[in-house]
Amino acid sequence: MKHLTPINRKARLIEEVIISQEEDVCALSIQQPKPKLGPHYPLGCTLVFTPGWETDAAGSTAGLCQPVERDLHDCYLSCYWPVQVPDHLTNYPDWSSKCANATKDWRNIDLVFP
Amino acid sequence: MVRLNGLSLAPDDARQIVKYLSNHHGLAPEEARPAFYEAEHRVVNENVPDETVRSTCTLCHGLGRIISQRRTGEEWRLLTNLHIGMFPFVSTQGFYRYSPAPGLPDLPETDHQEPVDRAVQYFSKTYPLVTPEWQSWRAGMHSPKLEGRWLVSGYRPGKGRVFGETTITAGQAEDEFKTACSLVYIKDGSTEARTGRAIVYGGYSWRERLEGSAKDDPVRQSLMLSRDWTAMDGRMFWGAYDEFGIDVVLRRIGREPLISGADLPALRSGASSTRLAIYGANLPVDIKASEVDLGAGITVNSLVSATGDKIVVDVGVDSKAPNGLHAISLRNHVRPDAIAVFDKIDYIKISPGTGLARIGGAKYPKDYQQFEAIAYNRGPDGEVETSDDLNLGAVDAQWSIEEFPSGLNDDDKDFVGSIDEHGLFTPAIEGPNPKRRNSRNNSGDVWIVAALRPGGSSKSESVLIARAYLLVTFPLYVRWDPSTLLR
Repeated sequence: MKHLTPINRKARLIEEVIISQEEDVCALSIQQPKPKLGPHYPLGCTLVFTPGWETDAAGSTAGLCQPVERDLHDCYLSCYWPVQVPDHLTNYPDWSSKCANATKDWRNIDLVFP
Repeated sequence: MVRLNGLSLAPDDARQIVKYLSNHHGLAPEEARPAFYEAEHRVVNENVPDETVRSTCTLCHGLGRIISQRRTGEEWRLLTNLHIGMFPFVSTQGFYRYSPAPGLPDLPETDHQEPVDRAVQYFSKTYPLVTPEWQSWRAGMHSPKLEGRWLVSGYRPGKGRVFGETTITAGQAEDEFKTACSLVYIKDGSTEARTGRAIVYGGYSWRERLEGSAKDDPVRQSLMLSRDWTAMDGRMFWGAYDEFGIDVVLRRIGREPLISGADLPALRSGASSTRLAIYGANLPVDIKASEVDLGAGITVNSLVSATGDKIVVDVGVDSKAPNGLHAISLRNHVRPDAIAVFDKIDYIKISPGTGLARIGGAKYPKDYQQFEAIAYNRGPDGEVETSDDLNLGAVDAQWSIEEFPSGLNDDDKDFVGSIDEHGLFTPAIEGPNPKRRNSRNNSGDVWIVAALRPGGSSKSESVLIARAYLLVTFPLYVRWDPSTLLR
């Protein structure tokens, strides 16, 4: 790539991706080509589910449910994120009772302090 | 018992119970040290030692929560059962394998143990209830005698070095203490004063709550006491996600002088006159310039002032002084590796290299991320990126945000938040953003870029660039350690 210069937008995007995988900092989304370094997992990150809460399975945010509020009821009812989101089944049966449509009423949802 | 069975406890009774459990069923210092980052609420890259533990446990929570406990095999088993009872979905998330579909052959594995069984086996062997370390520590446990004056040396990312003093006095019990501390931020001269209440658990593990005039108060502090009761180290922390903090070391002040360090982490060779302040306790007020020794190549031109906690000198550095670390010596008292001498800044790095922030500000709190640009010199071996490179301290860089291309038409950098001139990243507001495609949140991943044009005599030095990865993600709706939010 040192001897090639991108001349259009698509080529520049390709160059950005290549640079992001070769530079000094190993990002969450980069599993290759630096397997020895590996991604840096900030404390508390949950990365392995598909998707994870903080990142998707590839370590990026591109594959997460967006917006998160659209998926919040499902997370809650399925008890999929017991650490990050209250669960409906056992611990917080009324958590989202004030929120019929999370994408509009998300401000009615309170934090939970176990 | 409180949460699961509705037990009602007075705060003082709860404190006594925690004390009893810590003193009779706690960890030895050697066992607690590897997990102390959990008590310090410090973000670290955890090195999960076992693949089963990773896939069974750390999908949901950090390793620190596990390795700060010791249990019998039966108790580890009961703990996994409690997880299944309280959060049934864990059974399919990592505790048990999916069964093969009807008619299909079994998985081609020789070990047919379920992951949760393997994890229990690993914990029972690696983290048993009774260990030689605990038995030894418990047999000789003391309530430490910590009353007196303690010298504080600290570092707060974004604000730099912090020096000060804490006075510890006896509390209501032999393992409880009252404190009064005063801190000075060397970079801008600002001061903070706080008083606190602390409990020492297990004879070594300090937990404190401090209040004072600072806007961030109250703050908490977790420290670990050394075996000889002369030093404590840990972290003072605050913020909705405990993301702000000061790394602190406390040293007991006796009769002898103690040197904390200098206001400048590094001196450039060839600088003929630089004012240098040396901080400490019991410093000799009658010291002469000739009794301040900073090593070969650094000349103390004059003594500017001398008090018991600060000595100011004017120094010059030989233009041919080699790159390296120098000690501060006041008469026969020395602080090794306290000042670096360097000829030029060879490169900069951003700390941390990987950051995490959470959107918030409307309903839920923001999780900020402080970055710093750290300057480095190639060190005595003349090679950059080697172990002897000199850390020259944080420098004032120009900060910017660039796109981390994780997909086509990625536009995260326009939405995730902003970074100020001090490297503090403030995430954007939470909630769906109608200005983004599919009303995405203001989450995303970006590069944080620092640019520095080094000053000094050499005009040939070009702009130095460093970058760090930043993940801006969603709020946490469950707060397992909420005390700072509930204040």
